[in-house]
Amino acid sequence: MTKRKTFKTAAYMKELMAKYYQEGKEAREKGIPVVWITAVAPVEIIYAAGLFPYYPENFGALAAARKVADKLSMAAEARGYAQDLCGYARCGIGDAYAEEHPVGEIVKPDLLFCCNTQCGSLSKWFEVASRFYNAPYFLLDSPQIGPEFDKLSKQYFLAQLKELISFLEEFTGKPFDYDRLKEVLRLSKEACRLWNEILDTAMLKPAPFGFFDASFHMAPIVTWRGTEEAVNYYRALKEEVDERIKEGITAIPEERYKVYFDHIPLWPKLRWFSDFFAEHHALVAVSQYTHSWAYSFDLDRPLESLAENYMGEFVNRCFDYRVQLKINFMKKYNCDGFVLFSNRSCKPNAFGLYDKRNIISKLTGLPGVVFEADMSDLRFFSESQVRAELEPFFEQLKSR
Amino acid sequence: MLKCLLKRKRTHYYLQKGENQLDKAEIIGLFQKVAENPGWQARQWKEERKGKIIGFLLTDVPEELIHAAGFLPYGICGGQNRLDSAIAHLQNWACSYVRSSLALALERKLDFLDGLIIPQPCDTTRMVLGIWQHASPLPFLQNFRLPRQVNRPSAREYLIGELAQLKEQLEIYRGARISNEELRNSIKLYNNNRSLLRKLYLIHEQNPEILSTKVLYTLIKGSMLMPREKVNELLTKLLKALEGETSPSGNDHIRLIISGTILEPFELLDYLDEGGGVIVGDDLQNGFRYIEGDVKEDVDPLEALADRQLNRIPFAGYDLERNPRRFFLSKMAVQKKARGVIFLHLKHCEPENYDYYDNAQALEKAGIPSIRIETEFGITSLGQILTRIQAFLELLGGK
Ligand code: SF4
Ligand code: SF4
Repeated sequence: MTKRKTFKTAAYMKELMAKYYQEGKEAREKGIPVVWITAVAPVEIIYAAGLFPYYPENFGALAAARKVADKLSMAAEARGYAQDLCGYARCGIGDAYAEEHPVGEIVKPDLLFCCNTQCGSLSKWFEVASRFYNAPYFLLDSPQIGPEFDKLSKQYFLAQLKELISFLEEFTGKPFDYDRLKEVLRLSKEACRLWNEILDTAMLKPAPFGFFDASFHMAPIVTWRGTEEAVNYYRALKEEVDERIKEGITAIPEERYKVYFDHIPLWPKLRWFSDFFAEHHALVAVSQYTHSWAYSFDLDRPLESLAENYMGEFVNRCFDYRVQLKINFMKKYNCDGFVLFSNRSCKPNAFGLYDKRNIISKLTGLPGVVFEADMSDLRFFSESQVRAELEPFFEQLKSR
Repeated sequence: MLKCLLKRKRTHYYLQKGENQLDKAEIIGLFQKVAENPGWQARQWKEERKGKIIGFLLTDVPEELIHAAGFLPYGICGGQNRLDSAIAHLQNWACSYVRSSLALALERKLDFLDGLIIPQPCDTTRMVLGIWQHASPLPFLQNFRLPRQVNRPSAREYLIGELAQLKEQLEIYRGARISNEELRNSIKLYNNNRSLLRKLYLIHEQNPEILSTKVLYTLIKGSMLMPREKVNELLTKLLKALEGETSPSGNDHIRLIISGTILEPFELLDYLDEGGGVIVGDDLQNGFRYIEGDVKEDVDPLEALADRQLNRIPFAGYDLERNPRRFFLSKMAVQKKARGVIFLHLKHCEPENYDYYDNAQALEKAGIPSIRIETEFGITSLGQILTRIQAFLELLGGK
């Protein structure tokens, strides 16, 4: 295992995440309704309505990182949910039925809010959960958009944001606070700006920070986005990254290559992967995934800006847009190759990767590889298979 | 049995007589031949008419719009191909309907298509357009982005807009506008088709001896593969031929409901027929869900098309908080006095899978036995599935 200097902020993050879970648990006692929300959704509206957003996907990632995804999943599988549904959803549904809760019980929702920008799995899972927990559910529907934003989809999204606001007004019995929304957006924007700046330090060669660091430090940008906590956290992280640049501490020893990675990390194997790439002197520098939370809001047009950011997220874009986006990242970060993860859990991101690999290689001349596994379920992971799939790629990097 | 009759006649029915004089067995034989050679009639149409053919994935696409533009709508029903050709493009954990459809295209078995419209009820269909575009390009390739929530006002407004957008794309491709009159005529034609198929469905329910399960679904499938004018003529004749036979069957059949996305494989239906089953309802994309509900003829056509879509039999691809499909199923089972429900699920179909447990629970509560069978396009052995179906029929009191 490669030796690395751990981030000082790692302890801060653990504290912050513990606080997040604690607040989730206490929210209801304090009379603050808990809203289940998806990771790429306008959480700013939920905060502005005075509600507590809870991210079940994060629960899934946590279960995965603790290597218990398969256990939780089995409780869902026993009820006919197939092994090839999204691992997060299987963990969430499994936890509802499971007798044991190895990562603590999921916080029960008073209301569920899903934006299907990301996928159709979340909306089905939330639907199932809304019946299980007997809580109202709001789906913010986001039609897939092509290379260019189309007016029709944007209008539809905006109309639904208004429907959402009325729905929340009725739920809380209070008029929606647009001033508060602006303030939340400002905080969200600031945290996203800092996050983006931190991610961009991976462009330096050698870099102080890479994709695996980002995977470790991303929980607050997902869960605390829209609050002071997120801003403070990323300020501290940015400071530490800057210090590292000054002191010459790098993400991996002897960085020789930069690699683009698509898309979600394999949570239970995060460390294994980061060591594996480091061994080959390859820094995984960038991924569209971690950049998902690098939003930029226009405070003068709050609702439109929410629509543009959340609808326009890469997960909701067409094939060719995504190819171009990946290429842009590769260029911006000066990558020497790319690794695409055919994630069994995530059909919307895995389907199309075979063709994308060929097209990107043709357009950029960069070597690329697709490997098969699952982001959370170790039953679909074979170390030797992944090695066999990736080793030739590292050879290609070397021979360039 | 009708089936034996068909086997004998199938080879020479069409060449000897003109289509005008076809009798019952011959009409059914024609549909069966089309179902077995899906591109046959489309190719013929293309040659005769020099027209363009627009394919669609099942079945939430407004065929009326395609037809009104003067194109032939062609439903891609998947195939029993080996799916190997698709593996370089699509992981084998994508549903086999989409994989086998893509494989058909790659094997050039859909080379008569000028275009393709892909509705988006799930992540697989959402992703496949881009793959298709690169792997098997077509001059007219469009997504049809259906709203995934269907019970708020925004959904209807958006769907009307999306329909208008699709209409406009078809107009550009055609090089001329689609008039309201053209669209109304197509709506009428399709309404007529649905109503004919519903009548046949009812005849099957009352007397499967004269219209078996296999034949019923073959008629529906064949309708998607032939020019609709011709289909309607044939079905009208068939209904007439059946008129004399429509007295209710004296036999005590096992009344069944099938729930799922796409009915496959058709061979399975032989076993339902032989085991004394009769299908009294379903919610399949290529079954009752396809023929249920008409498009209003006296209002704005795009609004009417939108309203039909929004009011179709609930399907897992469209999210509704309370999952009305489970109520729909249990209500239908009670109303139709079904003895059991067969969940016929395509492996790897996510939307269906997410709803299964709730649907099965709802049936259990209503006291209706159910069984879940997972199928795939391109499977070679049906043995296990058939054993389970037979056991289920026996459980329900079959012969
Ligand atoms: S991993 Fe993929 S399928 Fe699962 S919730 Fe995330 S985007 Fe959806
Ligand atoms: S069968 Fe299921 S997964 Fe396949 S295209 Fe239809 S809805 Fe999607």
